[in-house]
Amino acid sequence: MDLKFVPSICSYCGTGCGVLFEVLDGELVGTLPMKTHPVNQGKLCIKGWNLHEHINSPLRLKHPLLKTFGRFTKVDWGKAVDVTAHRLKEVIAAHGPDSVGVLVSAKMTNEENYLAQKFARAVIGTNNVDHCARL
Amino acid sequence: MTPIQQQVKNWLEEKRVDIFLAYRILDGHPLPHAFTREHIEETAELVTGPARYSLEKFATHIASRYPAARIGMVARDCNQRALNVLRVWNQLKDGQVETVPVTCCPSHLHHHADCSYLEPHPAGAVKQQLGQAPNQSLAEVEAQPAAERLDRWLYEFQKCIKCYGCRNICPVCFCKECSLEHAELIGTGHLPPDIPIFHLVRAVHMAGRCVDCGLCEDACPAEIPLRLLYRKVNAIVKDLFDYETGSGDTLPPFSILGDKPTMSPMPLLAAAQE
Repeated sequence: MDLKFVPSICSYCGTGCGVLFEVLDGELVGTLPMKTHPVNQGKLCIKGWNLHEHINSPLRLKHPLLKTFGRFTKVDWGKAVDVTAHRLKEVIAAHGPDSVGVLVSAKMTNEENYLAQKFARAVIGTNNVDHCARL
Repeated sequence: MTPIQQQVKNWLEEKRVDIFLAYRILDGHPLPHAFTREHIEETAELVTGPARYSLEKFATHIASRYPAARIGMVARDCNQRALNVLRVWNQLKDGQVETVPVTCCPSHLHHHADCSYLEPHPAGAVKQQLGQAPNQSLAEVEAQPAAERLDRWLYEFQKCIKCYGCRNICPVCFCKECSLEHAELIGTGHLPPDIPIFHLVRAVHMAGRCVDCGLCEDACPAEIPLRLLYRKVNAIVKDLFDYETGSGDTLPPFSILGDKPTMSPMPLLAAAQE
């Protein structure tokens, strides 16, 4: 019987609401708003309230998947990166860098988001960068 | 060590309880914490306030996984009422939870709240003009003309962002299936949700269940005065069935579990007719 309460910050948007995870025997079973957090003051939106659900979801992607002939197959990261780089080069050569867009995510760290936009601007050569938290 | 810290330490050492729910300060925030025998030294960090979380809800989560667990917790009056309701509804076994009482909300015994969230705060200008101020008494709300009262409630309800926070935080909401998520009862895919049905469905389900702890109102991002609404629902239950929610050992009159109604309908009316 191991019950822990872990304070964290909601990762869904840029507001930064304080959340409290209820962890029972190492399994995340619930999310609560942090009462004393200065940002949300004990309140959350529906996304924040359900923050724990995707962690244990069976639908969660855990491996890179490669779509060939309409079907997804599990591949390792090396292969996934090789294929992506090869295809991106083909697309850029045929249609120009602005035919590529980079979508980043609030589920990544600030640093990863920085790297992704740097990759879009400096490597690919496009300003097509967008983010799910641009509410 | 404070007397409460010592008491909790003793309870854990004597194996009177297996786990004790209270609070401790973490990163400057008072957060709920489960104290155990394995980490007995943590009892020196135990605090009882000022934040208030639904400790009894955590207790039901433990009890559903470990039915034999003996659980201790610090309890304000509202926690105690919620524990009574949860016991009556078989979410916790008789004697499974032992409480250390702590001070809490204002009442006729002490006028100042130790739990700062529940101090009635005056409503702003717009809310005063269009909505229902949360610090009103039921008599004040009922003194409003019916049409105006309806308008004011509808103004409050249309602010709803359907976060389900009122249900999620509620210590006595434990149903596996919730009417508020039933697509045939409440329309899906638009905001605000169907008003006033969304809020009234919840209000009806709070009759004989709500312990007036105020956590829903505290968690509402739209500041809908839910406590006022549920207080009215429970006042009706009290008037018609003489049932005081959270105090007794009997199921509320609306219980459909079992073969027969648990209470006679309208005892006051029957008494008046005699």
